[in-house]
Amino acid sequence: MLTTRSAYLFLLPSLALYLLFVGLPILQVFGFSFFAWDNGIAGEFIGLANYSRLLSDAVFWTALWHNGIWVVLTLAFPLLAGLVIAAILADRNANVVRWLGAVYFIPRTIPLVVAGIIWGWIYNPIFGLLNFGLEAVGLGGLGGAWLAQESTALLSLNVVGAWTFFGFCVIIYLAAIQSIDPALYEAASIDGASWWRKFRDLTVPLLRGSTLFLGLYAAIEAMRFFDLVWVTTQGGPGYATEVLTTHIYKTFFLVGDFGYAATLSVVLLIIVLAISAGAFTLLRKP
Amino acid sequence: MTLSTQRHMPLLLAAGIAASVCIQPAAAQTVVTQWDQFAMAGITAAGPAMDELITTCAPDLNGATVLRTIAPSIGIRDSYRLAVSANKTPDLAYTWPAASVLAGYARVGALAPLDDYYEQYGWEGINGFYRGRNGFQGALYGVPMEQDLMGVYYNPALFKENGIAVPTTYAEFQAAVEAFKAKGITPIAFGNRDRWPATNTLSLLLGLTAGKDVEETVLFGDTPWANDQFKLAAETFQSWAENGYFPKGFNGIGYDEANALFLSGRAAMTITGTWVLQDMARGASFDLGVFMLPPIADGVAPGTMWGEGSQWQVSANASQDVKDAAAAYINCLISPASREVWVEKGYLVPIGTTPQELEQWDALPIVKSFYTQGLATPDTNFYDLHTTVPESVTQVLYAELQRMVGGDATADEFLSAMDVAWQKAIDNGERWVP
Amino acid sequence: MTKSPRLFQNLILLAFALYALVPVYLVFLAAIRSEADLFSGPLTLSWPINLGNFARIWNEAGFATYFMNSVITAVSVTILVLLTAPLAGFAFAKLRFPGKEILFALFLAGLVVPAPSVIVALYGNLQALGLIDNRIGVILPQAALLMPFSVFMMRTVIQDVPDELIEAAVMDGAGLLKLFLTIVVPVVKPGLMSLGLITFLFAWQEYLLPLVVFQTESLKPLTVGAASLQGRYGVDYGGIAAAGLIAFAPLVVLFLAMQRSFVRGLTAGAVK
Repeated sequence: MLTTRSAYLFLLPSLALYLLFVGLPILQVFGFSFFAWDNGIAGEFIGLANYSRLLSDAVFWTALWHNGIWVVLTLAFPLLAGLVIAAILADRNANVVRWLGAVYFIPRTIPLVVAGIIWGWIYNPIFGLLNFGLEAVGLGGLGGAWLAQESTALLSLNVVGAWTFFGFCVIIYLAAIQSIDPALYEAASIDGASWWRKFRDLTVPLLRGSTLFLGLYAAIEAMRFFDLVWVTTQGGPGYATEVLTTHIYKTFFLVGDFGYAATLSVVLLIIVLAISAGAFTLLRKP
Repeated sequence: MTLSTQRHMPLLLAAGIAASVCIQPAAAQTVVTQWDQFAMAGITAAGPAMDELITTCAPDLNGATVLRTIAPSIGIRDSYRLAVSANKTPDLAYTWPAASVLAGYARVGALAPLDDYYEQYGWEGINGFYRGRNGFQGALYGVPMEQDLMGVYYNPALFKENGIAVPTTYAEFQAAVEAFKAKGITPIAFGNRDRWPATNTLSLLLGLTAGKDVEETVLFGDTPWANDQFKLAAETFQSWAENGYFPKGFNGIGYDEANALFLSGRAAMTITGTWVLQDMARGASFDLGVFMLPPIADGVAPGTMWGEGSQWQVSANASQDVKDAAAAYINCLISPASREVWVEKGYLVPIGTTPQELEQWDALPIVKSFYTQGLATPDTNFYDLHTTVPESVTQVLYAELQRMVGGDATADEFLSAMDVAWQKAIDNGERWVP
Repeated sequence: MTKSPRLFQNLILLAFALYALVPVYLVFLAAIRSEADLFSGPLTLSWPINLGNFARIWNEAGFATYFMNSVITAVSVTILVLLTAPLAGFAFAKLRFPGKEILFALFLAGLVVPAPSVIVALYGNLQALGLIDNRIGVILPQAALLMPFSVFMMRTVIQDVPDELIEAAVMDGAGLLKLFLTIVVPVVKPGLMSLGLITFLFAWQEYLLPLVVFQTESLKPLTVGAASLQGRYGVDYGGIAAAGLIAFAPLVVLFLAMQRSFVRGLTAGAVK
């Protein structure tokens, strides 16, 4: 490998852009969090007062809890669905794989803002298609105000999140399965292993790396997603779909308390970095 | 190529302005940047009136021109805050909310005091109530324009068809609701997905259970939110929700959708304000009616919620020339001749307009009816919560109200949550007092 | 394999295909419906297809402008990323220099930075630079936020270029930049294509950044335009559906046309 100082010149454009628009703001956000702000104008230095406010801010803890639930739901549903679908597709013909793979991935190409609008209609209490559909099959009693009642709002929203994510899982898992040596499966077949046994004893363990990658990806997205909630419920009803990013957005834009918004941002950043550090440690283990 | 900068491409100015530019070529051109919400549909859809008045008022500007940006009503509140924090406050803006939020901008020095212009132009139409709502520590920072009122829009055909009379007491109102329920008609179209509509409803209920004087002891005095009258308002609101006054799932129904539900004849009434008169008048396939919700608690005087919609405000950073031009322009926009244009072309009734004037002008019957009833009780009309409490309290109010009306919190829990937010805002010096 | 598990498997595949497509189909139906009465019951395919909603949204609601803005922003971000990230990827993959580990870790950390975390400070900086309400104020931060992923991906791709190729060129005395352009770039062209597509997709989908930075209506992209329709156009659901289609159809078409390249890009960072 070539040792050269001109490597820095190669790094310069992307590093400069990255440090100026990502690195620097992160440092500044740390700085902001030690000051009092009024309507977007900086006031006096208040030390850790913004941080101690976190302890008594019930909305913060609710939001954090919701992010946590979102992580678990994402790991439980789209990841698992992606794994199963990929395992099924693995021994289908190439055209089926290509087309179904594309179909599953289509929701991921739709901007989350638009996905939120579409699903907002599906869930709408007065003309929503979900309620119409349930009535049509005689299950009208199950209909409800999906995004509008505390008991179902977060879960209903997660169905939308999963909609945009499971296709991505399918594609990642498929690529990984296709790189597994077919001889392993053939040997198992000769031993008379069922589809299920092969899935459990071969596919799942061999895809550990992809699962960790997707798990990390899902967990980070679950901590930082915003668009979907903002266009559908704005965190409501009440605080039922409040997440860290909506709390930051409201504190920042609607209340103009940049100091506390910065504090929340720092907390979000620390959580995300901690999750990543944990996952990387796991990834390194053989 | 790709990184082209097109920083100032606001919407096109009216032809008249362009013409006046031609007449006075670039004599150190004064440009007033204006942000307003006068779109062609939705809330405050007085776009056609604004277009016309920019042309009409051009001569008053003394050579200055107006560079206009239309920001949708819901968005302008956030965009304006960002602009202020970025030190890019537009010279002239027509934004909401007033009072508490306006005071916040005055507090941080973003707005120019307008007392001299009030004196110079004698804006008498703006009474003490509205001067109070546009003042902060003794100075005036805004020129309010729309006279906002709340009332109950109703569908007279549906009332007649079902043999129900327009209620004049709260008991009659309850009876009317029960009658519609019995017929399977949604009594009141209400949608609170957007989080703010319930605040208006609560404002109305508070005035009709507590009355203006008690409200003032809470908003400007030391009485806590958790008092008997406020509790009655909260409980009334919750009982309406529980007893099927509203469509199912109202927390998931948009404000526009609720209005559409009413306009399609599927709901008998909707309780909202004059700010959607434009859409209501255009959208109704039937003759619209409006009545004032009668007092709920004994001994409370009839009245309704008063607001100013939005107000014209001028940036503290604008040059003297720009400030002068903006003031002259505002003076033209609120002149009697302009008020007639607002009413006739925008279905928007400026503050200071009398029912007598409306009678003479070419106003729609619903506009005349709404204002005749709403302006009849000038001494007892009361406050609009989310333009009166500071933004930090508003955010709590929105969420807690969704919970309380949705049945996820009791009236007591709601009021004590409000007291906590209220106390914090007072401690932070955010409270506005006229 | 017995028949019944296969049937069961097919049912799973079908159910998820419906889950993926039905919402998209509903938007399509709503967009081509002639009258937009939202209370008139479930959507059915109406014939003949009515394009009035598209015409209205495109011409009257400013979607022609929003569309152009999305194109300008997404293309600019893509070009900017393609001009910078491969250089850094090359340095990390094939060059040795002091501080390499630390610098790479710095980029890696950026993979997970949430945009809402930096926006509070970013806004003030953009204002200080005069970039608020300016396209550059979205393009530069957007490219910066995508940089960690892009550099990481290009490093992975360029690692696969055989060292012998590079060593041979160095012996020829080729300058590093020339070497990069003449030896590395031609080999990793498919990787560049993938990076470009993914960057374009992400840039097109961005909502928060343009929402915050743009104040002038004529600068806003489709995502912001579509979201604001909900408040501005009331219950014109035919129009909103048409707007939604305009906002995502180009991405779907692009994805279907370039599926192989997309998938290569998506998996480049994941499988290794």
